[in-house]
Amino acid sequence: MSATELNATIALSALLLLIGFAGLILRRNPLIALMGIELMLNASNLAFIAFARWWGNTVGHIFAFLVITVAAAEASIALAIVVVVFHARLQTDLDDVSGLKG
Amino acid sequence: MIQLFGLSESASLLMLAWLLPLVGALVLWTFGPWLRAFGAWVGTLMTAGSCVAICMLIPTAMSLHGGRASAGLLFSLVTWLPGMELGLWLDRLSLLWALVITGVGALIHLYSIGYLAGDRAIARFFSYLNLFIFAMLTLVLSDNFIGLLIGWGLVGLASFLLIGYWFDRPSAVLASQKAFIINVVGDIGIMVAVFLLFTHLGTVSYLETFARVPSLDPTTLFLICLALFVGCAAKSAQVPLHTWLPDAMEGPTPVSALIHAATMVTAGVYLIARCAPLWDASLAARELVGVIGALTALTGAILGIGQWDIKRILAYSTMSQIGYMILGVGVGAYSAGVFHFLMHAFFKAALFLTAGLIIHALADEQDVRRMGGLGRRLPFPAVAMTLGTLAICGIFPFSGFFSKDAILYGVLSQGHRYLYGIALVTAGITAYYMFRMLFMVFAGSYRGDVAPEDVGITPLVALPGHHHAEESSHDAHHVHQHAHHQHHAPAWLMQLPVALLLVPTVFAGFLAVGGDASLWARYVAPLFHTPIAATESIPLGETTSSILVLLCSLVGIGTAYLRYATPDAQRFAITRLKYESMLMPAALREAFWFDAMIDRAIVRPTRWLGDVIDRWVEPVVIGGMVHEAAFSARWLGHLFRSLQTGFVRAYAFLLACGLAIWAAYYATLGGVR
Repeated sequence: MSATELNATIALSALLLLIGFAGLILRRNPLIALMGIELMLNASNLAFIAFARWWGNTVGHIFAFLVITVAAAEASIALAIVVVVFHARLQTDLDDVSGLKG
Repeated sequence: MIQLFGLSESASLLMLAWLLPLVGALVLWTFGPWLRAFGAWVGTLMTAGSCVAICMLIPTAMSLHGGRASAGLLFSLVTWLPGMELGLWLDRLSLLWALVITGVGALIHLYSIGYLAGDRAIARFFSYLNLFIFAMLTLVLSDNFIGLLIGWGLVGLASFLLIGYWFDRPSAVLASQKAFIINVVGDIGIMVAVFLLFTHLGTVSYLETFARVPSLDPTTLFLICLALFVGCAAKSAQVPLHTWLPDAMEGPTPVSALIHAATMVTAGVYLIARCAPLWDASLAARELVGVIGALTALTGAILGIGQWDIKRILAYSTMSQIGYMILGVGVGAYSAGVFHFLMHAFFKAALFLTAGLIIHALADEQDVRRMGGLGRRLPFPAVAMTLGTLAICGIFPFSGFFSKDAILYGVLSQGHRYLYGIALVTAGITAYYMFRMLFMVFAGSYRGDVAPEDVGITPLVALPGHHHAEESSHDAHHVHQHAHHQHHAPAWLMQLPVALLLVPTVFAGFLAVGGDASLWARYVAPLFHTPIAATESIPLGETTSSILVLLCSLVGIGTAYLRYATPDAQRFAITRLKYESMLMPAALREAFWFDAMIDRAIVRPTRWLGDVIDRWVEPVVIGGMVHEAAFSARWLGHLFRSLQTGFVRAYAFLLACGLAIWAAYYATLGGVR
C-alpha cells in the first residue's frame, strides 16, 4: 500500500466520521442519529484496516472486529431504549427526551 | 508458695497485691446490685488480701542486693517503647506506702462496713474504695514516671468519685468537681515534668533518670522540679492549691480518713522522697518546696482555728501536717518527712474515724458548737480522740512527738532558721486548735438541744459552691439513710479499726528512738544520701529543740484550756460560742480569701472568655465558616447543573468537542513520535 492510497483512505474515513457526526447532532430522529453513530464507528473501522495494511500486521483487524461487536451491542441497547421511549411517549424526538435536565 | 502465670513467687505476690483491689473494684462495679451488703465484705477482703501479699513481700523488698541503687523487687511488666520498660518497683520507700495504703486501707474498709451499713449503694462505695487502693498502689509501685502519672490521674478520679459519692447532694457534687479540677492542674504539672525529663534524658524510668541527673543543666532541673512540685502541691493540698481539701470533706468520713488524710494527699511527699536525687541536685527547688511547705503548715494551722465543722478542723490540720512533711522532704530531711507521713497516717486516720464515730452517734451533726459534754456519753471516742490529739500535737511520748521533732530539727540542721521558726509557731497553733476541738466536743455539757442560732450558727443562704452551705443540709439529707444504722452494724466493726490504729498512734514513735541505731534510721539509711550539715553550725541541740516544741505546744494547749475548758468558760459556753462565731475575723471565715482570689484570677476570666466565645467566636467565626461552606457548595452545584441540559445531541456535541481537544493535543504536543 502506497502513501497516497493510505492518505486517500484516511481522508475517506475522516469524511465518513464527519458525515456520521453531522447526522448525530443535526437530526432529531433517534434512528437517524443511531445511523450516524454506526457511520462513525465504521469510519474508524476503515481507518483501522488502512493502518493494519500499512504496518502489515493484524492488530488493526482485531480492533475492527472489536468495534463491530461493540457496534452490535450498542445498536441493540440503543434500539431497545428507543422502543421503550416510544412506548412511553408515543413520539421519538431526541430533544423531547430530556428528563435528566439538571 | 504462690505462682501465677509462670512468674517467680515474689513477682506473683506483687501482681496479686497490685491487682486484687482492681479485681474487687470490677467485680463490685459489675455485680454490686446483686451483692449488696455482702459486697462490702468482698471489697474489704480484697484490700486485706492485698495487704497480706505486701506483708509477705517485706523481706524481698527490704533486701538491698549488696547496696546497689536498685534495691528491692524490680519487675518489668511491658515494653512501652523500644528500650523503655514499664514495671513495678517495691523497695523500702514504696513498701512503706504500700503497707499504709493496704493496711490502713483495710482497716478503713472494715470501718466503712459499719459506717455505711444500710446505704443504698454500698457496693458502689466499696468499688470506688477498691479502685482507689488499686490506683494508689499503681502510683507508689510504679518504677517509672509513666506509671506514676497513670496512678496520679487514677487516684484523682477515685477521689472525685468518692467525694461525690452522695451525688444527690449538690454541695458534694460541687466539691468533687473542685477537687478533680484542681488535681488536674497538678496532673498537668507532672506531665510537663515527664515531657521535660524525656526530652532531656530520653528515659522515663526512675533509676535511669537518677543516674543521668548530673547531665542536666540547672535551669532545666529546676523547671522539672517545679513542674513536679505543681503536681505535688495540687495533690497534697499545698498553698495555693489547697482549697479543694476542706471541701472534700463532703465525702463520707471513711473517705476523708483514707484518701484525704492518710494516703492520697501524701502522694506529693512520696514523689519528692522518691525523686530525692532530683531535689538534691537543685537547691533552688528545695528552697521553694521548703518555703511552700512551711507556709502551708502555718496557713492550715491558722485556718484550723476558725472552723466549726469537726471534719473541716481535721481537714485543715491535715493540710498543716502535710505542710510539715513537705517542709521536711523539701529541705532534705527526707527520713523525718517520711516518718511523719507514717505517724500521720496512723493518728490522722484514727482521728477521722473517731470523728466519724461521733458524727454517727449524733445523727450526722458535724458542728462542734452543737456537741459538748460527749465525754461521758461516748467514752471510747473520747479516749481515742484524746490520744490522737496528743499525738498530732507532738506531746511526748506519742508518735507525733518523734516525727515532728525530727522534721523541725532536720529543718534547723539544714540551715533554715526562719522556716524553723514558722514550724515552731505552727506547732503551738496546732496544739491550740486541736485542743479547742477536743474541749468543745467532749468537755462541758451537751449543746445539741440548744437552738442553732443561740450558739451562733447562722442559717445560711445556700450559695452554690459556698463551703458553709452544706452544714444546714446535712441532717435533712441522710437522716433517712442513717435512721436504722445502729441496728445494722455491730459496734465493734467501727471501734476495732480505731482501736487498732491507736496502737501505732501511741507507740510507733519509739521506732525512731535511738538516733542512727534506731529501727527507723536503719530502715531508711539506704534510701537517702543527703549530707547533713555539721553539728557545730546548728544553733540548738536536739534536746533543746524538743523542749522548745513541747513548750510551744503546751502554750497552745494552755490557751485552749483557758478559752474553752475552765469552769467559767463551760458555764457560759453557749454565749461565748455565739460571740466567738459573730466576732470571727473575716480572714478566718473566708479562709484568707483563697477561694475568692482563685475565683477572681481564674474562674471569672475563664467564664468571661467563654462568654466572648459564645457570643462572638461561635456564631460569627465558626458559624460563618459553616455558612460559607454551604453557600459555596450550592453555588458550585448550580454551575455544574447548568451543564446537564437534558439534550442528548448537546451531550454528543460536548463529547465530540472533548475528543477533538484530545486529538488536537496528541497531534500537536504529545502523540507517538
